[in-house]
Amino acid sequence: MKPDGPRQQIQPASLSRNLSRSDDDDDQNPNPNPNPPSIDQSLDAIENQLSSISMFQPDSLSEPRMESEELVNGSFDEIEELPAKPAGVEEEEKLKASSSRVWTNASEMEEVESPSSPSSSGYAGERGSSATSGIDNGDFDRVPDSLVPWTPGKRHGDEDDASISWRKRKKHFFILSHSGKPIYSRYGDEHKLAGFSATLQAIISFVENGGDHVKLVRAGKHQVVFLVKGPIYLVCISCTEEPYESLRGQLELLHGQMVLILTKSVNRCFEKNPKFDMTPLLGGTDVVFSSLIHSFSWNPATFLHAYTCLPLAYATRQAAGAILQDVADSGVLFAILMCRHKVISLVGAQKESLHPDDMLLLSNFVMSSESFRTSESFSPICLPRYNPMAFLFAYVHYLDVDTYLILLTTSSDAFYRLKDCRIRIETVLLKSNVLVEVQKSMLEGGMHVEDLSIDSASRSGPVSPHSSQSRLATDSTERLRDAFNGVGGPAGLWHFMYRSIYLNQYVSSEFSSTINSTQQQKKLYRAYLKLYASMHKKGIGPDKTQFRRDENYVMLCWVTQDFELYAAFDPLADKALAIKVCNRVCQWVKDVENEIFLLGASPFSW
Amino acid sequence: MPSRRRTLLKVIILGDSGVGKTSLMNQYVNKKFTNQYKATIGADFLTKEVQFEDRLFTLQIWDTAGQERFQSLGVAFYRGADCCVLCYDVNVMKSFDNLNNWREEFLIQASPSDPENFPFVVLGNKIDVDGGNSRVVSEKKARAWCASKGNIPYFETSAKDGTNVEEAFQCIAKNALKTGEEEELYLPDTIDVASSSQQRSTGCEC
Repeated sequence: MKPDGPRQQIQPASLSRNLSRSDDDDDQNPNPNPNPPSIDQSLDAIENQLSSISMFQPDSLSEPRMESEELVNGSFDEIEELPAKPAGVEEEEKLKASSSRVWTNASEMEEVESPSSPSSSGYAGERGSSATSGIDNGDFDRVPDSLVPWTPGKRHGDEDDASISWRKRKKHFFILSHSGKPIYSRYGDEHKLAGFSATLQAIISFVENGGDHVKLVRAGKHQVVFLVKGPIYLVCISCTEEPYESLRGQLELLHGQMVLILTKSVNRCFEKNPKFDMTPLLGGTDVVFSSLIHSFSWNPATFLHAYTCLPLAYATRQAAGAILQDVADSGVLFAILMCRHKVISLVGAQKESLHPDDMLLLSNFVMSSESFRTSESFSPICLPRYNPMAFLFAYVHYLDVDTYLILLTTSSDAFYRLKDCRIRIETVLLKSNVLVEVQKSMLEGGMHVEDLSIDSASRSGPVSPHSSQSRLATDSTERLRDAFNGVGGPAGLWHFMYRSIYLNQYVSSEFSSTINSTQQQKKLYRAYLKLYASMHKKGIGPDKTQFRRDENYVMLCWVTQDFELYAAFDPLADKALAIKVCNRVCQWVKDVENEIFLLGASPFSW
Repeated sequence: MPSRRRTLLKVIILGDSGVGKTSLMNQYVNKKFTNQYKATIGADFLTKEVQFEDRLFTLQIWDTAGQERFQSLGVAFYRGADCCVLCYDVNVMKSFDNLNNWREEFLIQASPSDPENFPFVVLGNKIDVDGGNSRVVSEKKARAWCASKGNIPYFETSAKDGTNVEEAFQCIAKNALKTGEEEELYLPDTIDVASSSQQRSTGCEC
């Protein structure tokens, strides 16, 4: 999906030209004012701006239809992403600007060691020698991992850097110490990869010796992303074409997960003794890391830095929140009730706030550790964004197969007190039918794009996915879907994600039938990652939109001070209609926000 | 993160260029030898699993380049080493004289917590050359130097025919293991309720 076909690129050079251009296009506006006054003024404003921008239309459908347009709130601004550039150039420029070293050419690494010739220094040996060749594998076949359902824990533990299969893995993650000792590898045996680990440390330290930092190495299709966290080095080697910023964010989370298990106090051990081996401290946590890495390909919370709620009737969530609040007042720091990765309710002690990343890491830790499911547990954990140096204590108990309660406290002897709290909470939840509602919601799913109505006179979607009103009620209203020959929602809407900025929560629609395989869902998330990264580069104003068409999707993104909307459409979707549908989605989200978000009494203090 | 406790030992091999560091390692790990000389660029890394007193551990061997132009890599390479192997060529006096420099350079760069007792092993290589006739450093002289530096274990080796290579690395592993035993205390804090709000570090940047 390299949009190197016809594309429109707008340079920031002349504002006046851009403005006049907008004017010129006004009469071509296919959809000058489609909204009745009841619709939020800002929605209309942005819609007008969007529709007033000229579009490139391919001459014929037989041509590869690729276009990419990015526009910034009416006045054209700098293009954030230039996909037509040769790979490497973009990163190089960026990294130059931040005065860091980047090698865009693998041959430069020969200063450290020769990447492609293991026998460069006289070895006749077949295995275990220089390992950088793993990132220089031009002839790269993909191992179809995605066809196999994800299983927890270390896979392919028998592999090492000499294994062909290991070299073909699409995405590697490594954690090592600053002396080059392996701590974690997603694939393969850490000890067998000791030589590879040493190579990574050599590269990082070699650059550091020059008073610089290595952030990224590009080698053919592969990106090698480095993150140095004191004495802990994290490396990702990927050929998934995810943006550098996304991969770096994933390394940050991986480090956060390590801190959640051990706190940053391990750094002190390295200060005292660089030989320090932390693998015994992490014993048995393999599965926590592999589960987090797996979530990078399906959980939007990993890049949206927001959490998501299980859709529930307002009263139901209120009932859950009330009893949690009750225990929070009696010395619990945070009380969190979750169903899988979705929040049912959460409360914090006065003035305490919980970062969405901490919630992600905590729920990943709880869900991936099998022992939490079998009995009530009390475990020291650290919330890296709350206090990375110190432990809290987590009381964890599964109320049913998917629903679990986490009570966080600062006192190590609170187990029995928290157990009593849990019994009280559980009783109330059962009595008020919350757990039954939770199960129902799990079965029904959240927002379905097929339910979105485009009739602007009525409400944008079903009043509530969880009220007594049936979804059928919308069938009588006009649905653009009928006019459009595709599947999914109106105007070819396949999927959307809406992130409320002040709530720090997001809602993601269910996948429409067009994106029903894990493979397709992964692909869509990668498209979202790119979109997200291009919208979050520094130096861009707060209000912006992006419309991007390639052979897979039409992607539409709209970022305001209040929310971010990401939507994926059929690649043949009409632009004006797509914009209209996005407005409806926002209205729909507003209509049901009582049920899809946790409102009020939020412990989030920003 | 293996569930079974395994130990990884970082071993650095130092010495002048051409004394046979890479050949020694190659003989040890791969049981192979070649007469062809290829200079090591920067460093090379090999791993070998070793059984020692019923324990399995992995040697992570850092084979460094002897040329001076690579010496800037020092700190990076030496950090966290469990053992340092000093090599010289018994047929080249200069390579023996330089052992002292290599040792001191290592101690400065790696700055181990207890430099007096840091485990070194000295290897006098190429004893096979010319049937020993071209030898210029006597075993006695070498042993005397080792004794003066805190009784460093000494081996006379031939990377070509494998003499003493296995024994030398067994000793290296043993010595590295000895100092690796001392455990660091890992004692993280827990949050004090009263002060927790002040301590909170990176709370709300989103």
